[in-house]
Amino acid sequence: MFKKALLLGIISGLLAGIAGVIYARVYHSSLGADFSKVAPTIRIIASSLFGGVLAAIGFFLLDRLLKEKGEIVFNLLFSIVSFATLLAPFAVKLPLDLEAPELFPGMVIPMHFFPALAWFTLKPLFIKK
Amino acid sequence: MNKLIYPIAAVLILAGSAFTFVTAASWQIADGYSIAFSSDDASGIFKGFKGNIAFDGQNPAASKFDVTIDVATINTGNGLQNKHAKSDEWFDVAKYPQIHFISQKIVKAGSGYQVTGDLEIHGVKRSTTIPFAFKSAGTGGTFIGAFTINRSDFKVGKPGGDVGEQIKLDISVPVTK
Repeated sequence: MFKKALLLGIISGLLAGIAGVIYARVYHSSLGADFSKVAPTIRIIASSLFGGVLAAIGFFLLDRLLKEKGEIVFNLLFSIVSFATLLAPFAVKLPLDLEAPELFPGMVIPMHFFPALAWFTLKPLFIKK
Repeated sequence: MNKLIYPIAAVLILAGSAFTFVTAASWQIADGYSIAFSSDDASGIFKGFKGNIAFDGQNPAASKFDVTIDVATINTGNGLQNKHAKSDEWFDVAKYPQIHFISQKIVKAGSGYQVTGDLEIHGVKRSTTIPFAFKSAGTGGTFIGAFTINRSDFKVGKPGGDVGEQIKLDISVPVTK
């Protein structure tokens, strides 16, 4: 079970990272806001991967602890945690040489939902109950 | 006696106008300047800075600074803080778009200089003394100064709160002739 969850976490994390990188590029080209200094490609992919693996561990533990209700609680927690992390981009202080820091949350907030989105999309392919 | 009036007037005008030529060299503000502020909770920079600088290190009395900072160019590194700083609670950019400093007196002080002038922030004008140094390099140079103001003196923000009353300003302005 853990192997499947971990694989799902890694793949959904990587896909979320790729989606994040594409979104950052689109954001940059459309609005001209370049935050590659604070959110480079490697950091976007690594943080998405981190989220995916963390979700896998959380899923496995909740599934073990709560049995049938584990998945329901996990889905709820994953959504709540993703939503709660939205506050972080508003509080972050960027280097002063970066233009338009007010556009930074607009770039990273959608990315916070990508791991959950990828997880929920791919889960039926990995874990069938 | 009447014959002397015009020659005397001519001499006086010539002598008087001659003093106007004793002015300090004019400097152009170059890119790469830094107007940084810091306090207990907030720090950042102003990106918009312009003005006229006439300075002669050998004759500071003939020197003159008349500079402005575009308050809307404030950058704290955080979008929400920037918006807050520009609001009527702090700088009120819509009403007071500029910080203005015009010198009244420049004197030598130790190894550097001291400029005293009117600093106008948030519509409040106060006499302020700024110690500074001028580092000459080739045909240019850099003015470096640091001083502290009390934001409540200029009615910027409400007294108390997270942001300290004392705001330190660090200024570095490269100039060319």
